[in-house]
Amino acid sequence: MDVIQISDLRGRPRAPRPEEVNLNFSEKAVRELEQLLNHYPDKKSAILPCLWIAQREYGGYLPSEAIAEVALRLDRSYAEIEGVATFYTMYHVGHPTGKHLIEVCTCLSCHLCGAYRLADHIKSKLGIDWGETTPDGMFTIEEVECLDACDRAPVLQISDQYYGPVDDKTVDAILEKLKSETSPSTVRLADEIVQAQLHKRDQEKVSGN
Amino acid sequence: MPETRLLLKHSGDAAYRSIQGYMDKGGYAGLKKALSMDRQAVIDEIKASGLRGRGGAGFPTWIKWNGIEKEKTKPHYILCNADEGEPGTFKDKELMENTPHLMIEGMIIAGWATQGDVGYVYIRGEFVDCARAVKKAIDEAYEAGFLGKNIQGTGWNFDMYVHLGAGSYECGEESALMSSLMGERGMPRLKFPHAPLPTVAGLWDCPTVINNVETYACAPYILVNGGEWYATLGASTKNSRGTKIFSVSGHVNRPGNYEIEFGTTLAELLEMAGGMKGGTLKACVPGGSSVPILNAEQTMNAVIGYEEMVDAGSMVGSGGCMFLNEHTCIVTFIWRTALFYARESCGKCTPCREGTAWMEQILDRIRKGGGRMEDIELLKEICSQIDGRSFCGLGDAAAWPVAGALKVFPEEFEYFIRHGHSIVDGPEYRRMAPEPLTPAKV
Ligand SMILES: Cc1cc2nc3c(=O)[nH]c(=O)nc-3n(C[C@H](O)[C@H](O)[C@H](O)COP(=O)(O)O)c2cc1C
Ligand code: SF4
Ligand code: FES
Repeated sequence: MDVIQISDLRGRPRAPRPEEVNLNFSEKAVRELEQLLNHYPDKKSAILPCLWIAQREYGGYLPSEAIAEVALRLDRSYAEIEGVATFYTMYHVGHPTGKHLIEVCTCLSCHLCGAYRLADHIKSKLGIDWGETTPDGMFTIEEVECLDACDRAPVLQISDQYYGPVDDKTVDAILEKLKSETSPSTVRLADEIVQAQLHKRDQEKVSGN
Repeated sequence: MPETRLLLKHSGDAAYRSIQGYMDKGGYAGLKKALSMDRQAVIDEIKASGLRGRGGAGFPTWIKWNGIEKEKTKPHYILCNADEGEPGTFKDKELMENTPHLMIEGMIIAGWATQGDVGYVYIRGEFVDCARAVKKAIDEAYEAGFLGKNIQGTGWNFDMYVHLGAGSYECGEESALMSSLMGERGMPRLKFPHAPLPTVAGLWDCPTVINNVETYACAPYILVNGGEWYATLGASTKNSRGTKIFSVSGHVNRPGNYEIEFGTTLAELLEMAGGMKGGTLKACVPGGSSVPILNAEQTMNAVIGYEEMVDAGSMVGSGGCMFLNEHTCIVTFIWRTALFYARESCGKCTPCREGTAWMEQILDRIRKGGGRMEDIELLKEICSQIDGRSFCGLGDAAAWPVAGALKVFPEEFEYFIRHGHSIVDGPEYRRMAPEPLTPAKV
């Protein structure tokens, strides 16, 4: 198949045509999307769930190809899908993160309880600043707003797990444990989010029972 | 008054998360009762209870339910705002994780009362545990015949789905939440009177009820025990009935969710949370980051109730209550609040998009020791330009804490500007600020 020029799709108000896009969704992903589409009266409303599927299928982020594929599958323009995806902080548009994304809450209760000092510790331990990835591609650290677990401040989120209250020592232990974790936590998070939206009967159809 | 655990009564009981455990404790009796009643009678029961929205604004719930067309011409949607994002609030999270059936039962009751067709629970993307718990509970409710076709033999069909967000505080604003659910950027929509109310044209232009998780969770209790009974709770206040969950955090010994009857005082709430940690009380933000800050004296005199809290100088808001001790730097705290709003502003309207960014920059300058005396007036001016002039509530919510702090703690700002460093120092201050630190010089 011809390699698509994503830049050609960008300015166009129409949805991409099948011959313009490489399709990379797995069969399972296609069936999941089919089920999710039943939840809404129109295709457009499935954009967020479909972006979650795409983020999982494309390894934890959304390259241009992923945006194009979502656009094709939902019959929307490339620009619209890109516009939606870039609004939300949990979609990583264009750039992959490290294998494990460490999200440190520095919002009100957490900053009262020392989140910035904790962040200093993680940054110096990993040798990176906010938004950067370690050279081995293992860790990215990001500052996030209130995770709504302020009773456990300071709080971290990694994949679908919350950790709190954490101090320098517990963080060290968490990082150590993650080093031996093989599956990227960003992919796991996206998968958990997709699964949480599929009902039992949807999942039965996805697995073909 | 001590804690009054109604919604959180069985929150610590793991069995309560499953439908069997929930029904053993009387679950779904409220729905069964509702289904045997006339739809209007259900709404009247909610009216008698005096229930007001727990998501922040305190709008009477029955008015929303009653606003849905009675002669059905279109599908009706029941939407649950589970996008809890207000800094300091973590009650919906606990309700969804530990008592998911309570919220679901409440949504089905709302569905019955308004001839609903489909319910959506819009959960913030970070809350994967909540989403799993709610989805499991929905699956169980389908199997038990409380969702799906011909519910309990009434001939009424009602479906329910979980929908996850993807990281945006603004999606908690009800019209932005609808935009997001419809697959758009999470930006708010034109509001009444410039556009129809959501009860007339909400999701996909159809009649829509939107309520907070906690609001729905109250409905089963109201149906079982009657609206009149519910209205006896909080009867000492002007117009706040029932219980409210407060999420207590900050410098307290036992942070967590505490459910209190309206009419309880903030001082009692502080005592429930084990009192202050690391020093005496300096300030309190009683209802989530959006509400004005109170000083110690105001806090100790405040009674919890929608009108009573306004008299005290703040608001009930979403119930995210943060207590700050004497070593807290108010300037730094307010800067961090402003940073939150600057980051979360959706950018649709100018007063908020520009104003929140300017407020953050000015406060950052003060916090780093480079403030000017004129900055105080400038901040006040920006606040008054945002407040009431922004497209949605986020702008107002960004202005109130700053304006409030300038009114209640003017000396802290003046001191910081005059001396180029904070009025306080100590471990609390050194922990709370990012570099560069500008603590008190002695
Ligand atoms: C910026 C902003 C954020 C909001 N976030 C939430 C939220 O996270 N959860 C919520 O229930 N209501 C939130 N609200 C309030 C909703 O707009 C709406 O008032 C509420 O969902 C109505 O439900 P209720 O009547 O049950 O309170 C927010 C409002 C604004 C302006
Ligand atoms: S006030 Fe305006 S810019 Fe701010 S969040 Fe609302 S619509 Fe967006
Ligand atoms: S401030 Fe960090 S979880 Fe709420």
